[in-house]
Amino acid sequence: MRIIKLNNQIKKRFIFLLIIFVCFSASIFLISYSLKDQIAYFVEPTDLKSMDGIENKYLRVGGLVKKDSLKFLDGNWIFEVIDQNQNSVNVVFSKTLPNLVEENKGIIVEGKFIDNIFIAEIVLAKHDENYMPQSAIERLKEEGKWRGN
Amino acid sequence: MFAITPNILSNFMISLSRYVILLSLVLISVSIFLIIFLENDYYQGISFKIMFIHVPTAWLSLAIFLVMGISSIVGLIFKSPTAFTVSRSLSPIGLIMSIIVLVTGSIWGNLTWGAYWVWDARLTSMLILAFIYLGHILLLYSFEHFQKADFAASILAIIGLVNLPIVKFSVDWWTTLHQESSVLRIGGPSMTNDYLITLLVSFFGIFTLAIFWFSNIFYIIVEKRKIERSKLLND
Repeated sequence: MRIIKLNNQIKKRFIFLLIIFVCFSASIFLISYSLKDQIAYFVEPTDLKSMDGIENKYLRVGGLVKKDSLKFLDGNWIFEVIDQNQNSVNVVFSKTLPNLVEENKGIIVEGKFIDNIFIAEIVLAKHDENYMPQSAIERLKEEGKWRGN
Repeated sequence: MFAITPNILSNFMISLSRYVILLSLVLISVSIFLIIFLENDYYQGISFKIMFIHVPTAWLSLAIFLVMGISSIVGLIFKSPTAFTVSRSLSPIGLIMSIIVLVTGSIWGNLTWGAYWVWDARLTSMLILAFIYLGHILLLYSFEHFQKADFAASILAIIGLVNLPIVKFSVDWWTTLHQESSVLRIGGPSMTNDYLITLLVSFFGIFTLAIFWFSNIFYIIVEKRKIERSKLLND
């Protein structure tokens, strides 16, 4: 194999750019690594177990709305947010829910824990990356492959 | 890259541009037709159809920045005027694409999440990308000599390359409100084929439109410089 001899100038410029790029990406990496808890938009109910002093602290908790837990009582929405490890949080919300909040679907609640009950001030529906028409779901259900509700 | 002068590339692109815009118009018409007659999503209903503008423009805004960054590197290392002019003519297109992404995204977000804007990692890094595009354009026009402007703007483009993997992988690295990737992901696309085909058709429609636009901007820049040079020679 023939080794192409780079022009000295070109080599110098290349090294200059490489140094800029490496330094900058290293600093961005270090910043985002040390701030990773702040960059995360929400915590899951499982993460709450290992956190101290969550009472009265403004938090975002995300997960799925537990099946058969969504109820409307005395002007409040009451539901449980559950994650993959089956840990859950009881949530109370007094305003209008977004249209897409459904049982077994993603949700993010923003608010505070008061006496182990999460008083939500903002509720956001979180949809996932799967898109399909109703007819495809009917087909999956016929084949017995559908795993939703 | 070195034998190709801006003049040659400009003539080549402009001679093709009438076919490119024809192809683009056909693809966009087909995609509009497909989008209208597509069945709604089982969960999001009709509001998911904004995806067919949001996702192609998002891909393009990232791809354009990647090309801009690479051509800036080539331009700086080999002092290639063609590469500098490529990156100069790409940044307005990228800015418009990222603004479209942010606007369609917040409309979609309001319909599904219940909020126009949140400060999660994906949305914030996309906003930063739009600001880098804006900064790139501002740098290009804040010098008297375009060679100096090209140098400064290229450094910004190379630094801005760091942001690209952050935008792309933000949904995997951190928890976000934004959903994860549906097409470019491990395990294949997570949508049915009729949606995927529509998405690809509308992507190629917008992609060819961007190429048409790019060749026109490139042509205008090259012609303007020719006029300026002949003015200098005449004086």
